[in-house]
Amino acid sequence: MNPGVLSAGARGLGLAEHARKVAQPGRPESPAPAQATRPRPARSLVERWLDWRWSAWTSPLLVLALWVAATEQALAPEQILVPPWQVLVSGWELAESGELGEHVWISLSRLLSGFGFGSVLGVAFGLAVGLSSRLDAYTAPTFQVLRQIPSVALIPLFILVFGIGETFKVVIVAKASFFIVALAVHDAVKNLPVRYLEVAAMLRFSRLQVIRRVVLPAIVPATLTGVRIALGRSWMVLVGAELLAAEDGLGQMMEMARQMFRLDVVMVGVMLTGVIGLVLDRSFRLLEGYLMRWQRR
Amino acid sequence: MPVPPFSQRRRLVGLSAALMPVLLSATKVRAAELLPSALRIAAVSRTGPSGKTLFAGSSALVQEQGWLAAELGKLGVKLQWVPVTTNSVAVQVNEAFANKSIDFAQYGDLPSIIANASGLRTQLVVPGGSMNNTYLVVPADSNARSIKDLKGKKIALHRGRPWEFPFSRLLAANGMTHKDVRILNLNPQAGASAVASGSADAFFTLSDAFLLEDKRVGKIIWSSKAAPQDWKMRAELWGDSAFLQKHPRLAQLVATAYVKAHQSVVGENGRENYIRHEVAAGQSRSLVEREWEGDNTDWNTRWAPLFTPELRAHYAAGAAYARQARLIGRPLDTSKLYAPQFVEQALAQLKLQNLWASR
Amino acid sequence: MKPIWQAAGAALRPLVLPAILLLAWQWASGRGASAAYVFVPLEQLWTGLQELLADGTLALHVAASLERALTGLVCGALLGIATGALMAQSRVAERLVGPLYHTVRQVPLLGLVPLIALWAGSGEFAKLLIIGIAAFYPTVLNTFEGMRQVDVRYREVGAMLTLTRAQTFRRVLLPAALPDIITGVTHAQVFAWLACLGGELLFAAAPGIGALLLTSEQNGRMDVVLLSVLVISLLALVLNLLFTRVARLLVRGRSA
Repeated sequence: MNPGVLSAGARGLGLAEHARKVAQPGRPESPAPAQATRPRPARSLVERWLDWRWSAWTSPLLVLALWVAATEQALAPEQILVPPWQVLVSGWELAESGELGEHVWISLSRLLSGFGFGSVLGVAFGLAVGLSSRLDAYTAPTFQVLRQIPSVALIPLFILVFGIGETFKVVIVAKASFFIVALAVHDAVKNLPVRYLEVAAMLRFSRLQVIRRVVLPAIVPATLTGVRIALGRSWMVLVGAELLAAEDGLGQMMEMARQMFRLDVVMVGVMLTGVIGLVLDRSFRLLEGYLMRWQRR
Repeated sequence: MPVPPFSQRRRLVGLSAALMPVLLSATKVRAAELLPSALRIAAVSRTGPSGKTLFAGSSALVQEQGWLAAELGKLGVKLQWVPVTTNSVAVQVNEAFANKSIDFAQYGDLPSIIANASGLRTQLVVPGGSMNNTYLVVPADSNARSIKDLKGKKIALHRGRPWEFPFSRLLAANGMTHKDVRILNLNPQAGASAVASGSADAFFTLSDAFLLEDKRVGKIIWSSKAAPQDWKMRAELWGDSAFLQKHPRLAQLVATAYVKAHQSVVGENGRENYIRHEVAAGQSRSLVEREWEGDNTDWNTRWAPLFTPELRAHYAAGAAYARQARLIGRPLDTSKLYAPQFVEQALAQLKLQNLWASR
Repeated sequence: MKPIWQAAGAALRPLVLPAILLLAWQWASGRGASAAYVFVPLEQLWTGLQELLADGTLALHVAASLERALTGLVCGALLGIATGALMAQSRVAERLVGPLYHTVRQVPLLGLVPLIALWAGSGEFAKLLIIGIAAFYPTVLNTFEGMRQVDVRYREVGAMLTLTRAQTFRRVLLPAALPDIITGVTHAQVFAWLACLGGELLFAAAPGIGALLLTSEQNGRMDVVLLSVLVISLLALVLNLLFTRVARLLVRGRSA
């Protein structure tokens, strides 16, 4: 049959196109669309927007636009509704004078030292308590009660015991991260599949070998999750402690600005704490991904 | 239209004259309808036993007298008291003024300066008050005898609070500036803990200093009792400027109520009555009495609601200090901070001009 | 014979550590006035406790805080569930709300206090707002994840029964995601209690256990301070246990 000549009905079926494709092999063909006969409906604006790569930025930008509009209209006094550019200008001024960098540096160093202590102790304690049910029985109730004590309420007590210097802030951060990490490690050890331990027993591992070769690698995922959560919470606790009792640091900068009625500086602080929290979280997830990939091999 | 004859014009004038009061009262009714539904005064408060919120200072007296609530009630305006916690009065009141949730506040001088410097418009309506003393506390085992011994040391001081100004006067009188000491910006509780644990070398605060002495963890080495009058911090009645302009009648009622309270405080048994209120609000009696023992300011003078030159000088000096200590960004012209007309009117109304003869 | 010893031993074991700590505490409080300021002697704590219980102060403050925390929790959790469900149902909602949620969530709640104080005052509403926000975050996340992960087969069954969208939601998605939602509410309760405490410490005066903490600090009553901290932790523990037990019951009932 002559491929070029088709009845009207056949043409409607789109066979002509198909025939043409068949008649010219070697040309890479796209898979025939399921409904080749019907023209595809135009994608709605909404669908196009959803597929757009940068659509996640829409709402933050919208909020920013609303903010600018509200300040233009002066819907509220300037003290309450600070113009965004004012926030940027104040941020820039603070950064230039080095003040901002100093506060951030101090806060971060406190966070890292407290978090470091707390997590290391937490892992050690969680392991010990997870592996030995006798120890668990002795310490569990006390642990649960102490865990619930809010760090904010402990500040005056900690100041009394540790003084007003760096120590008490580091201790408060350590306390927050310790409990979270210890709990995560303890749960991870308790949730180890029994099979692993049975295999280790079969291979006649010594206790130390069991810990090093079976328990530790197996609890890494859960521990990392716990550590990440502890990092986020420690940051919150540190900012809270600095708000209430510190002479420097990001929280103190915000509190002082609040006392001096400089809302723009408060906003700079709020945004910066948010950004730092985000960066810490994301970086840790990257670290987790890297370590886990190694685990999964 | 033909010019109306003389008699008709007269009749028109007469009619308009007769209608005038009706028109005026109609506009008055209109103005009365624009009264706010509530008048809000912020005052320092504590939660007493059984959970009641109790106020401190002359606000407690105004509340007790009930005259203000009654007068406002006649105009259909509710009197609302807004409690503020002692450890963050300045911040809470300034924020409340900013978002228009209060119309009056009884709070300190330095916070009002900070508020006005940042663009809020408030004015002093009724001066005078208990004129708190300030104290310099050091750890019980410290060797410091005076502020000079604390050069280069750490002193806990809550910034932006009214007692920062007496502190600056103390420093200045001893030839020091705030750069000669390390100031730790801690709220009063944290400051107390810091000095009790010895990690701050001194603590500058109000009469809660006595609590540290009672616990034998601190000792007071300086108090403002013997200092000049204008060293003392002031906590007085401030009002939102826009409110004062829009509702002068209501502002007048508030001013009169507070002047009446001042009058009762300096009257018979006034002092005893005042102490009773402070104790009921949670302060211990011995603390209140020790606060006034040996004080060189006359009881009567403290409560004088007068806009004296000393008062104006005090605020000007306060604003200058705030600028110098970088608590405010731009210098503040303090001459616009006063609204003396309400007190003048109140004194005249109550015939109290001679009670506090102005010096 | 032996079982009795064992049972007694098992019962006493949890108490060993607290007993040691209490002894250490008592020893520390004997070391001078400065130490006694913070390590309040145990007798003083005991008399302080009796005082609080006698005039009903403690009960009053505890009731006020619980009421506040639970109100804020309910409001925040309901809003969170609604938002999470919306985000799970609608890609547009997810794309709009998601980024905002993730950015705002990073800011420590206590850091938002100055902003809330300015925009919503320092009264009861501000405290409820901060508790609501604290409860909102975990519920949204858990509801969203729970609904998104509902097994495709359930949805197919729904489609087969030609359920409308609303019916699918009510009869298929919601019950299937319920365990996750309940977990979210349990997490939210923990944060709500912390936010309640933070709010009472940082906002205006009103009855509440955090306010009791603050007042006793101001009056130098360190014994009441310690008792308040203890009560706060015990309440947190009790609330947590209560919510997890109820959660377990509900979830078990569901999957049965």
